[in-house]
Amino acid sequence: MDYKSKNLVAERKRRKKLGDRLLNLRALVPRITNMKKETIIEDAINYIQELQENVKFLTGKLQLLEVEPFSEEEANPKREETNTVEDMKKCGIQENVEVSYMSGNKVQIKIIFEKKRGKFTKLLEAITSHGFQLSDTSMTSSKGATLVSFFAEVTYDGTLAVEETRKSLLQIVRSM
Amino acid sequence: MYEEPGCFDPNNSMAEGVYSGFPQAMANNQKQFEENLELSAEELSYHHHNHQEDTSVSAMELELQKYLSFNVENCDNNTYRSHMMQQVVDDRNQLLSYDHSNWNTGDIGFNQDDPQQNGHRSFNINSLPQTPDLLNLFQLPRCSLLPNSSISFANSNHDTTPLGFIEDLPASDSTSVLYDPLFHLNLSPQPPLFRELLPSIPHGYNLPTSRSDANSLFGDERDSNGVKAYQDEDGGMLEFARDMACIVRGSGNGKKKKPFTTERQRREHFNKKYTALRNLLPNPSKIDRASIVGDAIEYTKELLRTVNELKLLVERKRCGRERIKRHKTEDDAVGDVEQSYNGSLRSSWLQRKSKDTEVDVRIIDDEVTIKLVQRKKIDCLLFVSKVLDELQLDPHHVAGGHIGDYYSYLFNTKIYEGSSVYAGAIANKIIEVMDREYAAAAPTSI
Repeated sequence: MDYKSKNLVAERKRRKKLGDRLLNLRALVPRITNMKKETIIEDAINYIQELQENVKFLTGKLQLLEVEPFSEEEANPKREETNTVEDMKKCGIQENVEVSYMSGNKVQIKIIFEKKRGKFTKLLEAITSHGFQLSDTSMTSSKGATLVSFFAEVTYDGTLAVEETRKSLLQIVRSM
Repeated sequence: MYEEPGCFDPNNSMAEGVYSGFPQAMANNQKQFEENLELSAEELSYHHHNHQEDTSVSAMELELQKYLSFNVENCDNNTYRSHMMQQVVDDRNQLLSYDHSNWNTGDIGFNQDDPQQNGHRSFNINSLPQTPDLLNLFQLPRCSLLPNSSISFANSNHDTTPLGFIEDLPASDSTSVLYDPLFHLNLSPQPPLFRELLPSIPHGYNLPTSRSDANSLFGDERDSNGVKAYQDEDGGMLEFARDMACIVRGSGNGKKKKPFTTERQRREHFNKKYTALRNLLPNPSKIDRASIVGDAIEYTKELLRTVNELKLLVERKRCGRERIKRHKTEDDAVGDVEQSYNGSLRSSWLQRKSKDTEVDVRIIDDEVTIKLVQRKKIDCLLFVSKVLDELQLDPHHVAGGHIGDYYSYLFNTKIYEGSSVYAGAIANKIIEVMDREYAAAAPTSI
C-alpha cells in the first residue's frame, strides 16, 4: 500500500508540474483562444513562430542599415590606438615577457604588450604555433596595455632555457 | 507518459465534451458506473489470464472485451443512458452494489438467473465459455442495442459451457448471434433503443464494426437498413458512439463532425504537437512533456528579449544615421560623434547549447560577457578569440582554463563602436565555430 500511495503522490506531482508549466506558457502567449491543454501548445507554437519571423525581419533590417557606409566609424579606431600608446608611456609600462619554468613541463609566462585590436589573437596564434598548450589563461587590460598570463605545457622536447624562450617571445610580441 | 489501454478506456475517452451534456444528477451514478467499469476491466483482465488458454476462446474473449468496451462507450454517450441509469438504479440497486468478491468464487452469474429470464433467451454465449463470468462483471445498464442485436463471433463454439447454457442460436454461419449482456440482471424489456436511433442516422452513414473481419456488430441493421459498416482499428466503437452522440444531441458540440474520429488519433495528434513545439526550440534536451514546455517557456522569453534588443539596435542605427546626415549637411563642428543612445539601456541574455559546447551571452549596454564551456578536445581559446574579432568585440578580460574534463572560459568584452551585433548572433557564431573545429579536430584528437 505504501508503494501505491507513493506512486500516486509522485504521479500527482508530475501532473501538477506539467499543469503549472502549461499555465506559465499560456501566461506568456498573448493570444489565447481556448483553455484546453491542446490549444495552449498550439497557440504557443504559433506565437514562437511569429516571434522567430519577427527576429528574422529585424535582423534583415539591421543588416540593410549596416550596408551603408559609415564614415565616422573609421575615425574611431585610430583614436583608440593612439590613446593606448600614450597611456602606456604615461604609466611607464613597457612591453615585456617573463618566463618561469615550474615543475615538469609547466611554464608560466607573462606578457605585456600594447593593447591593440586583434593583437591578442595574433599572440595566441604565435604561442600555439610555438608548441605551447595553454592550460590556464588570464588576460586583462588597463591603461592601454594588455597583460596576458598563462600556464602552458611545453610540448616539444628541447628544454629551452628560460632566457631563450623569453627572447623569442619578445620578438614575437614586437613583430606583431 | 503512460500508455492508455487501447480498447477499454472509459475514463479518458470520456473526457471533456462527452460528459458535459449529462445532467448533474447523474454525476454520482456516473461515478459509480465508471468505478464499476473500471473494476470490471480489472476483473476482465484478471479472468482473462486465469482461464485456460484456448486460443479460439481467448480470441473471442478479446472480441467480447472490445465489444463490451463499445457497449460501455455507447452507453455512456447515449442520452438514453440517463434513462437507463435511472432505471438500473431504481430497479436494481442491489445489483449496482454487487459484491465483487463473489466473482472470484467461480462461475456464478448465470446460475443465479431467474426463471423469468427464459423470455430473454435470445442470448447466446455458448461460443464463449468464459463469457458468462466476464459478463457478470459488467453491471451494465441495459443499453443494449436491440432485442435482436447481434454480435457474431469468428468461431462459434457450441461447446458446453460450465453453465450448460445453450439457447436459441440463430443460424450462424454468417454471424448474427444475439447477445444481451444484461439479461442476467433481469430487467424488464427495454425499448429497442438503437432501432429508434438508427433511422436517425443518415442513410449511408458509416457504422464501424466491432473488430476483425468476421465480426459485425450490427449484422441485422446492416441488412435491414443498408447502413454500411466499415472496419476500424481499436476505438471503432468509440468513434461510432461519439458520432451517435453528436447526432442525438444535435448541436451540443459546436462541430458537426469531430475531426478526430478516435481517441487514439487525438492522442497522436496531440503528441505530434509536442514534438513540433520541441523542434522549434534551439536547445532541446529531454523529450518528456514537462521539459518541452519548460524549454518553450525559456525560449519564448529569450525571443522576446531578442526582439526588444533588435528593435533598440535598429532604432539606434537609424538615429545615428540621421544624426550623421544632419552633421554633414549642417556642417557642424564635430564635437560629439558618438551615436545617440536611446534612453533605455540595452540588455539581453541568451544561452545556446550544442553537443559539446555551451555558450552564455549577456549584454548590458555595450559590454558583452560570454561564458563558454566545452568538452576538452581542442584549444578553443584561439578560435574564440578570432570569432570575437570578427564580431567586433574587444576583449578586456579573459580568464579560464581546464576544469576537469572541460575547458571553461569567461570573456568580458566591449563592443566596438558602430557595431550592432546582437546576442543571438554572438552565440550562434561561437557555437558554429566550435562545432566546426570539433569536427575538424575529431580525427586527430588524442
